[in-house]
Amino acid sequence: MAALLNKEIRDLLADPASVKVLATVDEAGLPHVVVRQSLQVGDDGNLLYTELLESSRTNKNLVRSIWYDKQVSIAIQGPQGQSYQIRGVPVKTHITGPLFQKHYTEVRRKLGDVDLAAVWIIEPLEVINENFAVRKAEEEKNHPFLKHLDRLAQH
Amino acid sequence: MSLALVKKRETELSLSEVVEKYPDVPRLIALKIDAQRRGVHYTERALKTVDDTVQMRSPYLFGSRDGEIKPLPESILLRDGTSILTDPTPLEQNPYLVDLVDGRLALVDGDETVEFIELWPKPLYYDKQTSSGIPMSHIVSARPQRLNIFQSSYCHFWADKKECRFCDIVNHTKQQKNELGVPSRLKPQDVSETIREALKEPGRFTGMCLTAGSVLKGEQIFDHEVDFYIETLQAIGENFTTKKFPSQLISSAFNEKQLARLYEQTGLMSYTSDLEVLGEKLFNWICPGKAESVGYQEWKQRLIRAVDIFGRGNVGTGLVGGVELAQPSGFTNEQDALASTLEEAESLAAHGVTTVYIVWVPRPGSYFRDQQNPSLEYFVQLARGLHNLRVKYGLGVDFDDYRHCGNHPDTDLSRLI
Repeated sequence: MAALLNKEIRDLLADPASVKVLATVDEAGLPHVVVRQSLQVGDDGNLLYTELLESSRTNKNLVRSIWYDKQVSIAIQGPQGQSYQIRGVPVKTHITGPLFQKHYTEVRRKLGDVDLAAVWIIEPLEVINENFAVRKAEEEKNHPFLKHLDRLAQH
Repeated sequence: MSLALVKKRETELSLSEVVEKYPDVPRLIALKIDAQRRGVHYTERALKTVDDTVQMRSPYLFGSRDGEIKPLPESILLRDGTSILTDPTPLEQNPYLVDLVDGRLALVDGDETVEFIELWPKPLYYDKQTSSGIPMSHIVSARPQRLNIFQSSYCHFWADKKECRFCDIVNHTKQQKNELGVPSRLKPQDVSETIREALKEPGRFTGMCLTAGSVLKGEQIFDHEVDFYIETLQAIGENFTTKKFPSQLISSAFNEKQLARLYEQTGLMSYTSDLEVLGEKLFNWICPGKAESVGYQEWKQRLIRAVDIFGRGNVGTGLVGGVELAQPSGFTNEQDALASTLEEAESLAAHGVTTVYIVWVPRPGSYFRDQQNPSLEYFVQLARGLHNLRVKYGLGVDFDDYRHCGNHPDTDLSRLI
């Protein structure tokens, strides 16, 4: 079932100062990770990724994912250290049509003489809060054994 | 559907069974093959959703399954960007339905909604005419990312009744000329104007394909055919800033001198000459004109020599996949047919020639009109076999892949290479 991307995540994805990373896997299960600032939220609430290179490993892995229902992962880090992971599955590839042409024109306006291989639509399935403060509080609450004793010692 | 066909289909594996048996062929590609094999029928409520942004059926070399020319959507797109070129098919032949399900178009089989689909968008140039007053869609037809230039729809093998047995090109040419006014021979100027207009639409096209029937005339056989292609390609080339442009020619088997002329005098980047069926005995039966004019072995040699001119990964041959099982002289067993076809395809791959296939659909205007095409399982095995040969021999097929053609289930798999 699709996960909802809340306002904070949408804002992070739209913020040019955020770092966005897309992780896919190949046929052997080996991860392939790339920084991709073009990741954004589409009008339908799904993630949208513009792939410029038909021959890229990411593109091939995305094809494999849509063919075999494999998940991909997106990591976002905001300028104030906010950190989220979104797991999702590619559900559609646009290689023609108005959405494709809109992004084709846009990437060429921004980047010059480049091509656009596809516009990928990724349905988010799970959002994981990777903020350190949140994760630390979770661990201390749920796993009280997982700490070094000297942190608790009387000095 | 005839009783014999019903009984045959009942013994074949279903789509889901084939997908389970061959997990390395994705379900969407197996579905594409099945939709091509069986055809589609658009329901009335599906057709009510079609507006003028949709590409309707354009002039084409070959006729449709029902022998009619009707204003129906050209074809369909799956959610992964795969094109399915397929014909409107009479209901009695058990096609997939294209129906409206929950407000969306879908491929439906019986009670099952198999997959949601979209229709091809119409390119902007389709609404324009050339300066000579011909609709541009009659000069150059479109696929989602490819331009088709069918510059002459007459094949001279038909003159001596030596046409390829699966082909209906001449009968369909007459029908298109009579019913639509499609010119049977294109003028290079019209082609150039249309290409110029097509290129104005950003991001729409990645390649073009020229093809036509065989022309035997000339000092050497096919010289006039070569002359016509050179003239047309040079006219097209006026629209590009580079000498070479992504392009494919599917033609008769030209000799080295002819191929060199094409390569040196035009912007052409790849060359395909269809053997149609692999194996000399079947070639002689199914393609009598090609057999008599050039012969199977020499056709293969011309393909191999083309690699020296166009480069490895830029030369191919096309098959009408499944026609090797046509009766009475074809294989009677699908496994034997597959083994033989792949063995021959491997001999070509070893020399840098890639083999691709289209799904054979017996057409009413062809000699083989009463034949039956093979099972889905056969076509799936053929797709993976040809794909695996490309992997084994390191053969790219960019010039004939899902964007630059979209009609070969085997090259759809090359998206993973």
